Amino acid sequence: MQLLVNGKSYEVDVDEETTLLSVLRHDLGLTGTKYGCGDGDCGACTVLIDGEAKQSCLMPVDSAAGLEVTTIEGLANGDILHPVQEAFIEHTAFQCAYCTPGFIMSTVGLLSRNPNPDDRQIRAALTGNICRCGAYVRILRAARAAAEKLAQPGGNQ
Amino acid sequence: MTVSTDLKPDLKPDTALVVTGPPQWAGDLTLREPPGPDATLLEMDRQGNTIAYSGKVEYGQGIRTGFSLAIADELDVPLASVALILGDTSLVPYDRGTTGSVSTKEVGIQLRRAAAAARRALVGLAARRWELNAESLSTREGQVFAAGDPGKKVSYAELLQGQQLQLAIPEDIAVKDPRDYVLMGRDSTRTDAYARVTGQARYSQDIVVDGMLHGKVLRPPSYGARLQSIDTSGAEREPGFVMVVQEGDFVGVLCDREDAAEGALGAMRARWQEEPDLPADTDLPRLLKEKARQTVILREDGAPDAGFAQADQVLEGRYFVPYIYNAPMETSAAVAFWDDGKLTVWSGDRSPFGVRDELAQAFGISQDRVRVIAPEIGGSFGTKATNGVAGEAARLSRLANRPVRVAYSRAEEFMWGTVRPAALIEIRSGFQSDGKIVAWEAIAYHTGDRPNRGQRGADTPYNTSNVRIAVADSESPLKAGSYRSLGCAANHFAREVHIDEIAAALGLDPVDLRLRNLSHQRLRRVLERTADRFGWSSPPPESAGGRGVAIGYDAGSYVAECVELTVARRGVRLHRVVAGVDCGMVVHPEGVRNQTEGGIIMGMGTALREAVEFDAGRLLNPAFSRYRVPRIADAPEIEVVLAGDSATPSTGAGEPGMVPIAAAISNAVYAATGTRVRSLPIVPQLS
Repeated sequence: MQLLVNGKSYEVDVDEETTLLSVLRHDLGLTGTKYGCGDGDCGACTVLIDGEAKQSCLMPVDSAAGLEVTTIEGLANGDILHPVQEAFIEHTAFQCAYCTPGFIMSTVGLLSRNPNPDDRQIRAALTGNICRCGAYVRILRAARAAAEKLAQPGGNQ
Repeated sequence: MTVSTDLKPDLKPDTALVVTGPPQWAGDLTLREPPGPDATLLEMDRQGNTIAYSGKVEYGQGIRTGFSLAIADELDVPLASVALILGDTSLVPYDRGTTGSVSTKEVGIQLRRAAAAARRALVGLAARRWELNAESLSTREGQVFAAGDPGKKVSYAELLQGQQLQLAIPEDIAVKDPRDYVLMGRDSTRTDAYARVTGQARYSQDIVVDGMLHGKVLRPPSYGARLQSIDTSGAEREPGFVMVVQEGDFVGVLCDREDAAEGALGAMRARWQEEPDLPADTDLPRLLKEKARQTVILREDGAPDAGFAQADQVLEGRYFVPYIYNAPMETSAAVAFWDDGKLTVWSGDRSPFGVRDELAQAFGISQDRVRVIAPEIGGSFGTKATNGVAGEAARLSRLANRPVRVAYSRAEEFMWGTVRPAALIEIRSGFQSDGKIVAWEAIAYHTGDRPNRGQRGADTPYNTSNVRIAVADSESPLKAGSYRSLGCAANHFAREVHIDEIAAALGLDPVDLRLRNLSHQRLRRVLERTADRFGWSSPPPESAGGRGVAIGYDAGSYVAECVELTVARRGVRLHRVVAGVDCGMVVHPEGVRNQTEGGIIMGMGTALREAVEFDAGRLLNPAFSRYRVPRIADAPEIEVVLAGDSATPSTGAGEPGMVPIAAAISNAVYAATGTRVRSLPIVPQLS
């Protein structure tokens, strides 16, 4: 089947029940998207499907066929990081960072549908992502800072 | 991403300066083990780039950044010119594992000394070149300058042309005075930040080797179950199946992809003989005492009986902490391959040398035929030590004669990773009506394999002349391992709740009561500064919630925490935490703040909701949907106050944040509700 990931078209030959996560990591070598639980409980595998944050660990790959999949590897514009990535660096919104790609994708998904979320909305949008290192106060700060960056002229790539 | 399978280190051809020395600072007499033979600690090439080597691993704590900052500062080179090689047993000096929050204290200082030695050598080269006294020269940004002549300068790279120097760290080498720090003590961007936000950071889960197979290992349904019979024919019909391997009870299946291996494993039919009469979590507080083995007296001072006789009041309390899942976000993973009798394993373990020695022993080969490489590790918190997937991957790889990857599923990580030991602590105190504690007896039962599992933090830091402290190890029905602030957080929960009970019994302020019984200057200072910052003495008039305080010590550091929370029908809402930490000289303030916040969040989980539930050898809540770890919606506002001074040597920062938090929360719940909670987790007991 045809899969569109980070603007590139891939032909993948897998069982249609194979998860999108498995295809991204195994077949496309895009290991930035992480396995955390395989149950949709932790958000480590979050990617964007047509701009919306979705967990890829339970999603059969055929349901993503024909849609635009964006992973952490496809977020930056060449060498220019996405404002959410910049904000995560500036606020050191991570420790081990295994959950970071998922948090960043969830934050990008949130800001694309709600460019100016309040604290409660940020918490609600990101509560499906677990950071066991406990960098939450930094992630909250980074999400707010990213919203401000995006609101500036030219902030939206 | 495919990694090189070349066993030989990629030594840079233009290495010009090598500094060797003991891996850990021999001047630190508190080291529990000899530091090991001299090893290469630092190299510079002719472009002026530096590579440093350490057996520590990066599992999120930021040690790569801390070491880089310290080395760049001592050497006076740009931060970007320093690279670190961590946790590769073929390249780095021996290390006993990244544990106990000692990396900065024991290895960071040694890398600073190595960098200072390199800087001295470079200044010496410049002094000879210019025929000037070395004392008249200074260094900055990778260059040597002559005093009084701004035009006279030479870069390290230029000085190193044509050089081939090797030196041991001189005995008399001095590290920089804090007043001269350029990078240390200041906030920097983590050196690994870019890789971490772009998906480029490579974890053990992400290692791919050409020709690699994916293995899954048959696991018993319950602890101690023995395999009776197995029918593997179902596995063979799965797409992607390659082979089944079996050695006695050890059964694995190898497939061309991981999900296929899971399917093939699920298609096997196994019969098990399960262990009868295994306990449940509800048996725990009782079992801890019943199954106690050796008791060790940690301290016996004065005459406790006489102390209790002169007390105005005597208070007794029993405190319990359950088993906790470490639950790092990255489940354990390893890739192994054999080549000409040599074994290479990428494994996300916090003790690469421990794994190397374990593998050498298991396969009957010498240690130098085993190379263990720890890539980025997605969290540990004490688990991921030895006895995990590395050995399984190596075993499957040898049987299959192919590179093999083994990764735990989340359910496997819950069941076969290690858990924090449960503990029961009994305290009896005697005190006078002015708050002076005159007698203190405590015995702590911690599950584990040796009595010292529960020693950390068991002693009281308060001034009491009649003291008896004992710890005992109890047989563990679960696979207990290490945890952030092992034993120490449990002992502090007990003691700091008990101290709060004394304050309540006397109607004294809990901060005041602590200060009346504390002469330890660093603990007093960190408590006073934290309470001050929190506004302890001036509570908001309209506050509907409760405020709690607790203090503690761990890893050579001192910590105090004040919290504010409200209790509602649906649980406890933690609003605000102020944490003071004194870990001596701070190399990277953002690193210490981040670690302290993480310890608070993790400790909040242990306080409010986390507990392993089990019965008859099975886990009852091995999933994030049934085991509630803190989520971002639960996160309080956290302020970290760095309360140490730069003249005091660095001590641990990874664990102290966790130490007082559970007690501070329980004490605040008491303040809010009048309910004293002596067992964790708190929330199930409030409803």
